[in-house]
Amino acid sequence: MGWAARRIGVSLLLVWVVASIVFLAIHLVPGDPAELLLSSGGVAPDPGAVAELRDRLGLNLPLAQQYVSFLSGVVRGDLGTSLVDEYPVLDEILLRLPRTLELIAAGALIAVLVGIPAGTLAALRRGSAFDRIASGLAALLLAVPVFVVGTLLVLVFAQILRWMPAGGYVPLAEDPWRHLTLLALPALAIGKGLVAVVFRMTRASVLDALSRDFVRTARAKGLSPSRVLMRHVVRNALIPVLTVLALHMGTLLGGTVLVEYVFNWPGLSTPLLRAVEARDYPMVVGIVLTISALFVLLNLVMDLVYAALDPRIRHA
Amino acid sequence: MRPGTKRLWVPAGLVALIVLLALLAPLLGLPDPVRQDVAQRLAGPMPGSPLGRDEFGRDVLSRLIWGARSSLAVAFASASIACLFGTILGLLGGWFRGLGEFLAVRSMDIVLCFPPVLLALLVVTLLGPGAGTLIMVLSVLYLPGFVRVTYAEVLSARSHDYVEAVRALGASAGRILTRTVLPNVAGPILVQFSLAVASAVVLESGLSFLGLGVVPPAPSWGLMIRGARATMAQAPLLLLWPCLALTLTILAMNLLCDALRDAMDPRTATARPRLRLLDRVLPGLVPPAPNAEAPEAVLEVGGLTVEIATPRGPIRPVEDVSFAVHAGETLAIVGESGSGKSVTATSVMGLLPPAARPVAGAAWLEGRDLLRLPEPELRRLRGGAMAMVFQDPMSSLNPVHRVGDQIAEAIRAHRRGVTQAQAWSRAVDLLRRVGIADPERRARAYPHEMSGGMRQRVMIAMAVANEPKLLIADEPTTALDVTVQAQILDLLAELRRETGMALIFITHSLGVVAEIADRVVVMYAGQVVEQGSVPEVFGAPLHPYTRALLAAVPDGDAAPAGIPGVVPQPHAFPVGCRFAARCPHARPACEAAPPALEGAGEGRTVRCIRWAEIGAEKAEAVA
Amino acid sequence: MRTTRRALIAAGAGLPFLRLAGAQAQRTPGLLRFGLSAFPPSVQPWANTGTAAATVKLLIHRGLLSYDTQGNLRGELAEEWRNEGAEAWVFRLRPNAVFHNGEPVTASDIKWNLEQIAAERSTAYYRAEMQGISRIETPDERTVRIVMKSPVVTLPNWMASYHMGMVSRRSPAGQPIGAGPFVIRSQERGTSLDLVAFDKYYKPGLPKLRALKLVAYADENLRVAALQAGDVDLIEYVPWQSMASIEADERFKLDTVDGPFMYLLFNATRGPLADARVRRAIARAIRRDDIVKAAFFGRGSPLEGMPIQPNSEFYDPELSKGWRYDPAEARRLLAEAGHPNGFSTSILATAQYGMHKNTAEVVQQSLADIGIQAELRLPDWATRVSLGNRGQYEIAVNGTSTDNNDPDGLSNLVNGSLSPSYVRSYGLRVPRLEELMAQARAEFDRAKRREIYRDAQRVVLEEAPIVGLAWRSQGYAMAREVTGFKNMPGSLSFFSGITLEETAIG
Repeated sequence: MGWAARRIGVSLLLVWVVASIVFLAIHLVPGDPAELLLSSGGVAPDPGAVAELRDRLGLNLPLAQQYVSFLSGVVRGDLGTSLVDEYPVLDEILLRLPRTLELIAAGALIAVLVGIPAGTLAALRRGSAFDRIASGLAALLLAVPVFVVGTLLVLVFAQILRWMPAGGYVPLAEDPWRHLTLLALPALAIGKGLVAVVFRMTRASVLDALSRDFVRTARAKGLSPSRVLMRHVVRNALIPVLTVLALHMGTLLGGTVLVEYVFNWPGLSTPLLRAVEARDYPMVVGIVLTISALFVLLNLVMDLVYAALDPRIRHA
Repeated sequence: MRPGTKRLWVPAGLVALIVLLALLAPLLGLPDPVRQDVAQRLAGPMPGSPLGRDEFGRDVLSRLIWGARSSLAVAFASASIACLFGTILGLLGGWFRGLGEFLAVRSMDIVLCFPPVLLALLVVTLLGPGAGTLIMVLSVLYLPGFVRVTYAEVLSARSHDYVEAVRALGASAGRILTRTVLPNVAGPILVQFSLAVASAVVLESGLSFLGLGVVPPAPSWGLMIRGARATMAQAPLLLLWPCLALTLTILAMNLLCDALRDAMDPRTATARPRLRLLDRVLPGLVPPAPNAEAPEAVLEVGGLTVEIATPRGPIRPVEDVSFAVHAGETLAIVGESGSGKSVTATSVMGLLPPAARPVAGAAWLEGRDLLRLPEPELRRLRGGAMAMVFQDPMSSLNPVHRVGDQIAEAIRAHRRGVTQAQAWSRAVDLLRRVGIADPERRARAYPHEMSGGMRQRVMIAMAVANEPKLLIADEPTTALDVTVQAQILDLLAELRRETGMALIFITHSLGVVAEIADRVVVMYAGQVVEQGSVPEVFGAPLHPYTRALLAAVPDGDAAPAGIPGVVPQPHAFPVGCRFAARCPHARPACEAAPPALEGAGEGRTVRCIRWAEIGAEKAEAVA
Repeated sequence: MRTTRRALIAAGAGLPFLRLAGAQAQRTPGLLRFGLSAFPPSVQPWANTGTAAATVKLLIHRGLLSYDTQGNLRGELAEEWRNEGAEAWVFRLRPNAVFHNGEPVTASDIKWNLEQIAAERSTAYYRAEMQGISRIETPDERTVRIVMKSPVVTLPNWMASYHMGMVSRRSPAGQPIGAGPFVIRSQERGTSLDLVAFDKYYKPGLPKLRALKLVAYADENLRVAALQAGDVDLIEYVPWQSMASIEADERFKLDTVDGPFMYLLFNATRGPLADARVRRAIARAIRRDDIVKAAFFGRGSPLEGMPIQPNSEFYDPELSKGWRYDPAEARRLLAEAGHPNGFSTSILATAQYGMHKNTAEVVQQSLADIGIQAELRLPDWATRVSLGNRGQYEIAVNGTSTDNNDPDGLSNLVNGSLSPSYVRSYGLRVPRLEELMAQARAEFDRAKRREIYRDAQRVVLEEAPIVGLAWRSQGYAMAREVTGFKNMPGSLSFFSGITLEETAIG
């Protein structure tokens, strides 16, 4: 258990470092949130109003003091309120985070359902037409940018074919069918990159596993090909694949901006981007803190899963 | 030329072409990529602008090629920087452990905690947009990938025997890292590099799309896509060109890196030859009938010839091999590495790699020709009536399953209706039988928790689980130390006595043969050169090679006499006797034609046209 | 709708996502779905929170006055108004105006509002303007008398602004109670707002709609796609590249107005830009047609003088073309100013907004043609504003719209005596211009006022404290069935939400 405690300790340290770096960075960057807020629409605000707002938002306090109050707030579970509309940051995050997570999970599901079987098949039939076509498709998917894919999906499915609504969001509880319909296209857009990665990784990993001696042993034992495949090849090949997938999913946490923008999906990336644009300090730091904490948590979980899958790690 | 290098040329050529185009952009006489001509905006193909004009009336083709410069420069620069620093960081962290490792791994974790877009946003806002900032941001973003890959490989390489060996020899860390670890890491790093470059190009377009990339009016593919997206309804082709350029470039890069990886990997399989019906019958049109005279042999191999397709042409590592082994008998197949002994064994088991196939001969087991059996039937025999034990028990056992499970699996594969619990308890019994103490606990262990000797016992347990009639042991003790060797040999002998199974023991050690075998087959360069009972062959060797082998065994204080010359390579087998070049008794006739296998008494064969003469000479010399 | 879907699925119809084309476009009668360009960060009545918020504010709040579809002032909470002498304005409130809580709108409420706006700790947009009030008298509950410290002709225009919504003085903190035709019933934060008609609205028979659903679509392409797919009935901020296809589509109609404009600013504290001739040269060198084509897809028109709307009474056809394209003249001016071979400088804009970036690119090219090598600086918007406010630039591109169609709104852009701001040039004083603008603000005689503004235009053309580039088209697109919605003229385009009280659908 000492191992787990140490990992958790390190993780907390990590999160604190990240939050502090972002806190510092966002304050160093030029741009004044009060000024910006009152300048919306390209107008010149009254300097008195700006000064007043700065004061009200606590922006005139020394940086160190702002940092301390931020830290003490975090410990209490209070991430402050948005400078733009005074909405509690934590509430905003709790509202939007599940939607981003849902998007990522859906994309990952597509990636796993398509990528792993396809990669395995491509490895088994290495050099065949299927392998070539699938590998080519994977490379293609990696190459085309996600915002282009997203735009094309909207163009084809919503405007031309009229099969899907043109983006937006409806809570699952309110209308499950429409919710899933609206989820489909953005999940596809997110999934396209993941599918390619999973496919390549699976293919490489299965190829590697196929050449291992223990696969020869399994065949020598007279096991059926499907059993050899599932219990010996795929079981061993999956470990690096899942690691890579988890890594990508983690980085997606803050990186779904383009997809959310194109499909009007109200996840966490968009308020982050807006907050940076508007220099909404508490919102920026709050969201980054959440994302990094989640990522660290994800890593921790992956380590545990990895240990469960590969006993050599457990005892190392 | 290494296998796989041919596949390198096409993608390398493509990438080189693209890079060349980008480099030569100033010299190609293209129209000015930033010159606006708004009157002609969104024009289709026209003279001087084969791809039309963009939303400012600028020439698309020119912008595409100039854009290649910036997009590619940024991508390659950042991937290279990330590769360099990431690899170093990973190597240092993985090798030296301690604080260095902690810092290396954790700092990468910090980087990964940053959403890429946010990092880009912050850095660009702080430092202002532009190619330099972009390269910096992308390098930082791709660093963790390289660090992790290198770190993982170093960790795994550290534990490998060959690294331990080199360290024990006193090699310095630097030397070890560069000469042993780095080459192994090179493959995954190359893959990572290709992914990084591909990703960098795509990310650059995404950042430019958000306005965080290269500063206009300088062209970049990302900026072109941004502009084209706005005018997608009016000029859809405008979106197509930069996307096409992006896709082609990344595709080429990926193919190149895959091909590079394959070329560097010594285990590259060559293309699988397509099996035609004719090949199953030709050559050796009529398979030889089993020898009706001999007492029931468990396995009888007749005229086995195996062919492997290689880039340099087909080779025959096994040619015209015949032997038989009976119940309760131990047959040893002895020869140097490369003599074809393992290939013989694997072809009997039907475990040849796809590039290899038997082209002549037969292998009879229980009245059926293994070489012509359909796969499902062969599978029933494998692990059942015939089993095999391999040389390296560590890699031959699946590291993620418990030992007991792996044995139980073998049992359940051949017996219907056996439950997991029953199979498990049988596995425990087997472990006890092969001499593993505390078998209940051991069965729950993983392979890496056991010593080499124990693992080999497990392998043997797995092999005998279904009471095979034939057990093939391919150098089972070569990887073990001497004391354990003896134990394993005893175990095998015991099992053979108990069950009456036939045992084929493949080895290169004559001492072992003398100890356990009843009969011996001596192989050289893919052929059987002598065969007979052990006392006879060892007492009175007939083939010059056998003589030389026996002479080579150190006897007391006498210096071992090595055999001058080297074994001929499979693709350069001489026409005549393959041992002729090294044979002290060779005559011109030996090299002229391939010698046939001749009978030399009861159950003895020898492949030498002068065996009788040489025997007479020797007898004279002694007398 | 549900039965049909079930029947389809039961019949084993193919694709799981198939929707009947009709099902998507089906409307609930009396409900209008409006696609906004952004989710309003706040609907506090007096602080400036952007133009998307403006629409919402115009739905739930009302001020003393507003504008009709021709752009003329009309009464809202006040049914009539007049000025008494130079400094006093009297407003007479409607008898039947009530707030959403049912309480009548009284003069005390108005007084309280104005005092709040002018307060020391206020962040209201018109804070400075309201601080120009000397005193407010409320002779009775229906009369408000505002006395200014100095004469202001445009006070009614201020009162008609969407930043001057009047709320109940009994509003709880953070929840202003307005008097507009609609009430917010619920919101899905960041996504949509649901509004219902206020049954006690003071204009009988209005609003015609029963309910409104406002949905935010940040991505302009998606906004258009939503309209075309039938997910919304009306959208704002139609992207220029989509205008042609919407016009061509007979299911929809497009209503455009040239309201906002793009212009150049200068840092006149040093270098060649301190010389008015150089600035004039720049003004003559810009290819404005290219800007309109490249940045706005032809949806707009060149702005070759002081930004006064063509349909304004203060418009002068001659003076409006003072800066027309003449590269030879530009070169001559440059040479006269001592820069025959041009010079190097930089242009500040932002990469974040496509129209700013595209405009800047054309400007850069135009300047290059007369020998001025300008490097583009394209930080994000926040940094650009920050740099602009501190005068850390040489030439800058900006886009804006005045508060209303009165030219007095332009004084914000050309008055160098005000504190530095990113909307006006830095370190550039034109005393004559400041004089004229102040004069015009206090001149009640319309003929005289026109004359003053004519002089002002001449001075602007001469001194070039700003250089007009182009008007840009502001468009609303809606389904054919939508009636009564009108894009208000000129700068009032952002006030179009006012017409939603008369909008009907189907």
